[in-house]
Amino acid sequence: MMMESTDHSFISNSRSMKKFLLKTVLYTFLIVIALELTVRALHLYTEDPPRFIDEQGVEKRVPGHNGYAVTGNRNQNFSEFHINQAGFNSYREFEPTKDKFEVALIGDSFIEGFHQDYFESTGKRIEKMLNDGTEVYEYGYAGYDLANQMHLISAYQDQFKLIDEIIIYLNYESDLNRGEYTPNKQRIAMLKSTVFRIRDNIKLLAYGSKIGIVDPLKKLVTGKAFQESSEGYETNKIEVPKKKEQEYLENFKSLVELYGFDKCKTTILLDSRKTSDSFLEYCRQNEIKYLDFAPAFKNTKKPVTLIYDHHWNSHGRDLIAEVISDYVAKVSKNKKCE
Amino acid sequence: MLFNSIEFLIFLPIVFLSYWFLFKNNTKIQNVFIIFASYLFYGWWDWRFLILIFLSTLLDFYVGQRIYENLDNKKKAKYWLWISMAFNIGMLGFFKYSNFFVDSFIDMFQAFGYDFKSTWTLKIILPVGISFYTFQTMSYSFDIYYKKLKPTTDFVAFTAFVSFFPQLVAGPIERASNLLSQITNKRTFSYAQASGGLKLILWGFFKKLVIADALAPIVDDIFANYHSYPASTLILGVCLFSFQVYGDFSGYSDIAIGTAKLFGVELMSNFKFPNFARNVAEYWQRWHISLSTWFRHYLYIPLGGSRVSQLKAVRNIAIIFVVSGFWHGANWTFIFWGALHALFYIPVYLMGRNRMYADNVVGEKTLFPTPIEILQVLLTFILVTFSRIFFRSPSLTDSFQYINQIVTNFSYESYVHPMGYRMLDFYVLLGVFIFYEYLIRRHEREPFKFKSKIVRFVLYVLVVLAMLLFYDDGVNRSFIYFQF
Repeated sequence: MMMESTDHSFISNSRSMKKFLLKTVLYTFLIVIALELTVRALHLYTEDPPRFIDEQGVEKRVPGHNGYAVTGNRNQNFSEFHINQAGFNSYREFEPTKDKFEVALIGDSFIEGFHQDYFESTGKRIEKMLNDGTEVYEYGYAGYDLANQMHLISAYQDQFKLIDEIIIYLNYESDLNRGEYTPNKQRIAMLKSTVFRIRDNIKLLAYGSKIGIVDPLKKLVTGKAFQESSEGYETNKIEVPKKKEQEYLENFKSLVELYGFDKCKTTILLDSRKTSDSFLEYCRQNEIKYLDFAPAFKNTKKPVTLIYDHHWNSHGRDLIAEVISDYVAKVSKNKKCE
Repeated sequence: MLFNSIEFLIFLPIVFLSYWFLFKNNTKIQNVFIIFASYLFYGWWDWRFLILIFLSTLLDFYVGQRIYENLDNKKKAKYWLWISMAFNIGMLGFFKYSNFFVDSFIDMFQAFGYDFKSTWTLKIILPVGISFYTFQTMSYSFDIYYKKLKPTTDFVAFTAFVSFFPQLVAGPIERASNLLSQITNKRTFSYAQASGGLKLILWGFFKKLVIADALAPIVDDIFANYHSYPASTLILGVCLFSFQVYGDFSGYSDIAIGTAKLFGVELMSNFKFPNFARNVAEYWQRWHISLSTWFRHYLYIPLGGSRVSQLKAVRNIAIIFVVSGFWHGANWTFIFWGALHALFYIPVYLMGRNRMYADNVVGEKTLFPTPIEILQVLLTFILVTFSRIFFRSPSLTDSFQYINQIVTNFSYESYVHPMGYRMLDFYVLLGVFIFYEYLIRRHEREPFKFKSKIVRFVLYVLVVLAMLLFYDDGVNRSFIYFQF
C-alpha cells in the first residue's frame, strides 16, 4: 500500500514537472513572439541600411533605401533616413556642375546623420542658412576615418573637381589610425554573415543589442563580467591619445601624399579641444585650413549631444551648420582656386 | 551573485533541474545540494565571508541543543542563549558598527574639546547579508529557549536553513519554525507552487528593473545636488525614493519568495502593499514584515510588549523602532529615522488604532477607496516619505539641510532628468504601477491573479516589455538592502 502511494506520488510529480517545463518553454516562446511583434509595431528597433564596396573601392550604403534609425529604448530619438543614388544619407542627389556652388561635407556617422531626419540634416540647415542656391552634398558614412574620406575624394575626383568647397570632418582621436586606405571587406562580410542577418531580422534582438541588454551575456562569454568597472555615465569621456600624436601626424602626411590634398578648396572641420596642438600647428605651418567648432560648443549653455551617445543633437547640428555656413559665405565664396 | 545578473539566470535553471532531477529521491542529498548552491551563490561575491556564515551556523546548532538540554535550568539555558546572542551580535557589531562607535566617541570627545585623531577607524568590509542571517540563526536559539521549537539534530538541514540562497542575503528573515521544518521534511514538486514562483520572480524583476532602477538615477541626482534644487524637485526626489526603495526591496523579496517556491519551499511574505497603508501602524504590518515580526517576537514581547503599563508600552515601542533603525545601518540617520517612526506610531497606539487594519485592506468592500481612505493613505505616505529623507541622506546634517532647502526655497520648477530622458515616461510608469498594485492589493503572492488566461498573458508581455523599455545599462544594479 505504502509502495503504491509512493509510486503514485512519483508519477504525479513527474507529470507536474513535465507540465511545468513544457508550459514554461511554451510561455517563454509566446512572450518572445509577442515582444517581437510589439517591437516591430512600435518600431523600437533601429534599421541599418545595407553597406557595400563599389567599383572604386568606396565603402557606402546600397542606394534607394528608406527607413528609420532609432536611438534609446523608448524611441527617444526616431529619425528617417534616405539613401540617395550616390549611396549616402541625403535628401538631395549629388549632381555637381560648374555653374552652381557646391559644398561637399565628408565625414563619419556625425555627418551621415542617422540621428536626425534626413530632410533636417546639417547640410540642409547650411543650405537654409546660406539661402543662395548653394547645394551641400553630405558624404557621411558611419565608420569612415580620414583614410576613407581622402580615398573617396581621390576615387571620385571627376565629381569633386566640380565641387567648390570640400569640408572634411576630422575626429582626431579616432580618424588617424592608418596612413593608407584599404577597403574593409571583413566588415562588409561580417555584416552579411548569418549571425548578423539573424540579428537584423529578429527585431527584438536588434533592439536588445542596441540598448545594451545583451551586453552582460557578451561580457560573460568574454570574461569581462568579472572585471566590472563603475564607469557609469562617463561613457562620453574622450581623451586625446598623447602618445600617438607623432604616429597620427605621420599617417596624415602619408594620406596627403597618397591621395592629394587641394589646399585651396579643402578645409578640415574639427574640435580643437579634442585635437592635439602639434597637429593644429602642422596645419597652420602647411597652410592646411581648419574650421574649429569648439568655441561655438563652448559658448552654448544647451546640451549639444544626444542622450544615449555623443553624436550631435539638433542644437549641436545647428551650431555646426552655423559655423560652416558663416565660413562658406565669408571665406569659401570669396576665394579663387586655380 | 545578484538576482538580476546573467550569472543568476544561468545558475538558477541549473540548480533547479539538478535539485529536482538528480537529487529528488533523497532529502538529505537535496539539502547538501542546497548548501553547495547557497555557498556558491554567496561565495560568488566574496568566498572569504562564507566562514562567518558557517561559524554562525555551527554555534547556533550547538547552542540550540545546549539550551534545550537545560530548559529545566533557566539560568543555564539563558547562559547559552547569551552565548548565541553575544556571538551573533558581536559579529554584527564588529563588521557593521565598530567604526560607527569609534567615530561617534571621537565626535563626542571633540565636542568637549578633546581632539582625537581617527586612527582607530578600521577598514572593514561589511559582509553582505550579515544582518539577515545572524538574526535568522538567533531566532532559532530564541525559539528553543521560549519552548516554541525543538532543536534539530540534523546539521545538514540546519546549515541549509541558515544558508538557503533565495533569502540568504536580504531576507525575508525566516523563523526556524517555518523554514527549518520545510527543509527537514521531504519536498514534493508542485506545478501550482512552481508556476506561482515563476510569476512572483517575474513581478519581482519588474519592480527591481523597471521601478527601482529607472528611478535610481533621478533620486541619486536630486539627493546629490539638493543644494541647487527648488522645493518641488526635492519633494519629487524623496517621493520617487519612496517608490525606488519599495521597488528595490519588495522586488528582491518577491524574487526570493518565488525562487524558494521553485524548490518547494514557502517563505513568509515580506511586503503587503505598504503604500496603501492607512496609518503608520498598518504600514509596519505591511513593510519588511519579517523584520517587524522578528523584533516583535524577540524584543518587544520579551520587554513586556503592550501587556504592561501604557508608559512602559510606549517605551517598548520607542525601543524597537530605534533598534530597528540602528539595524538598518551604522549611521545616526537611521537611528533618527527609527525614532521618527516611533513618534508617528505612538499616537496611533495611544488611540488604540494600531491593530485596526491588521486584517483588511484599503477598499476592502468597494472597488475604489473612500475619500477618507484616500486621505489616510496620503497622510501615511507623506509621513513615511518624509522620514525617508533621513533614510536616504548620507548624514543628519544633509537631512536637515535637505528639509531646510524645501522650506527656504519653496518654489516650483519642472525637473529635467540628468540624462535628458522624458520625465513624463516615469510619471506614467508610476501611475500605472500604483493603479495596478491597487488592483492586486489582496494578493501579494499572486501578482497576476486574473481568471482570464489572455489577460494574464498580456500582463506577462507588458511586464517584460516594460523591462525592455526602461532598461538602462548605466545604472548600478545592486540592491539597496544589501548594504544593511
